[in-house]
Amino acid sequence: MARDVLVLVEHSEGKVESLTSQLLAIGSRLAKEMKVELVAAAIGHRMENVVEALQGKGIDRILVVDDPGLALAGGEVQAHVFAEIGKQVEPRLVLVGYSLVGMELTPAIASKLRMNALTNCVNIELRDGVITVTRPLFDGTIHAQIALEENATAVVALQKGPAILTAPLAKKAVVQSITIDVNSIPSRSRVLEITEEPKGDVDLGKAEIIVAVGRGIGDQEKIHFTAELAEALGGTLACSRPVVDVGWLPRERQVGASGKSVAPKVYVACGISGAIQHLTGMRDSKRIIAINKDPNAPIFQVAHIGVVGDLFEIVPALTKAAQEAQTR
Amino acid sequence: MNIVVCCKAVPGLVTDLKIGADGKAIQYQGQLLAINECDEYALEEALALKRSHGGQITAISMGNIKALDILYYALAKGADKAVRVDCESQDPRVASNVIASALGKLDFDLVLTGTQSRDTLGGQVGIAAASLLGIPFAYAVVEVEARENNTVKVRKELGGGRYAEVELMLPALLCVQTGIQPLTFVPPARRIRARQQPVASFSLADLGLQVDQLAPRGYRFIAVRPPERTHQVELLQGSPQEIATALLNKIRESL
Repeated sequence: MARDVLVLVEHSEGKVESLTSQLLAIGSRLAKEMKVELVAAAIGHRMENVVEALQGKGIDRILVVDDPGLALAGGEVQAHVFAEIGKQVEPRLVLVGYSLVGMELTPAIASKLRMNALTNCVNIELRDGVITVTRPLFDGTIHAQIALEENATAVVALQKGPAILTAPLAKKAVVQSITIDVNSIPSRSRVLEITEEPKGDVDLGKAEIIVAVGRGIGDQEKIHFTAELAEALGGTLACSRPVVDVGWLPRERQVGASGKSVAPKVYVACGISGAIQHLTGMRDSKRIIAINKDPNAPIFQVAHIGVVGDLFEIVPALTKAAQEAQTR
Repeated sequence: MNIVVCCKAVPGLVTDLKIGADGKAIQYQGQLLAINECDEYALEEALALKRSHGGQITAISMGNIKALDILYYALAKGADKAVRVDCESQDPRVASNVIASALGKLDFDLVLTGTQSRDTLGGQVGIAAASLLGIPFAYAVVEVEARENNTVKVRKELGGGRYAEVELMLPALLCVQTGIQPLTFVPPARRIRARQQPVASFSLADLGLQVDQLAPRGYRFIAVRPPERTHQVELLQGSPQEIATALLNKIRESL
């Protein structure tokens, strides 16, 4: 019968993604409460470093598929391999990271295993013995709590949340190698290469102050208000995805899941509603200031300081105050 | 190249939100149904591919009669045909089964859709439907290049500024990212004219599906409400100048 908690490991260049470490911390707590095993599945090629990095995270068993055919595997093949592992483990819960990679794999794996998938979750916990998840709806303005029926299984894809710090655990995971004939998996797609965004002149990762502009600015002609604020504060101008999508600022200034992840000392979000994909890239900033006219905007869920108001009044006033402070 | 674009009608404003009596669905009054923005980008990409490679575009949407509005909008934008699947469900497993069955009735080389809908934020139906149909798929696609040998080459996002170049044999399904093409404006006159075009309708019976097969199962909603704040946000009030002074102090003490 389905019982264990299975975490699907995401890794690149021999390193385990921080989102996976977060899943393992959550999964280890859940497994303990459910009195079941925490199992991790890691697939790829030359997996020694990944397997090593998975030790000390409270895992009972690490299942590894190490095959040259997985070095550059596409979604079809990866989903197939993970589903095969799922069939062997028969887990109660499969935990996946809601990254761009996880978003591609989750529905395919769930459909192969005939399981429900609950995606985009911000929380999972055992509440009075019932597995309960929380996930956003309607642009993040509403959160729904969903309880799994008794004995029901699910693939749960969790968003990157605030970092969870855990001390290494003494428990040594048993490593089991699984052989799957990867070459015989039916696949009508292939990954040709992995590329990186060319490095531009802007290094958001090094900025101590970031002034970020969102769709709320309304017009490319008005971007200068935020650019001037960034300059007056000695900071760097950044933006959310919609601003890049309409071509108002270049891709290198984009903060979020598909752009840069940043954690500056100060992050000033101007007219950014706070889509999940954006929050993922900036929620670890030390101090988040949000200026938005909508008091229900999800950005206020992560902001430390908020101003509900017109950014065309607040931003120029703040620019002026910063300029005056400089000259004084 | 024949392309099907899956698009969803999503509400702009939602009121009277509550959990249905059986706990399986959320009920609400949805105002101003519009095409889901991600799906509109999928439509734009389909139009761009049609301009360079020819073929027909079919827009398909699952929903009640109100979903017709976005299908007329798709026709006004340049889709050749439109199909409404008469089924209402927010359950991703149900929706992907229905959409996969409907796609099975259509002739296509490529299916394009967005990455997620703004109402349920699930992002499942496209990939799940592809998986059910056994066709290759790619998520978060930012470039599509149609090739001679019955394949497409796409560039898709992996996150953090990394991309994968993937070759897919047709037929295939792609979930495209926002911004893949610029959104174009549709003159009101064209939108009015489009309302005279026919929209085909598939019932569940047409698709060989039965209503009771399509009940969500395995979970129930127990609460819907505005998000709990994990920490208290300090809201500043006053004149813009007062707020600016306070903000500047806060910024300085953070450095």
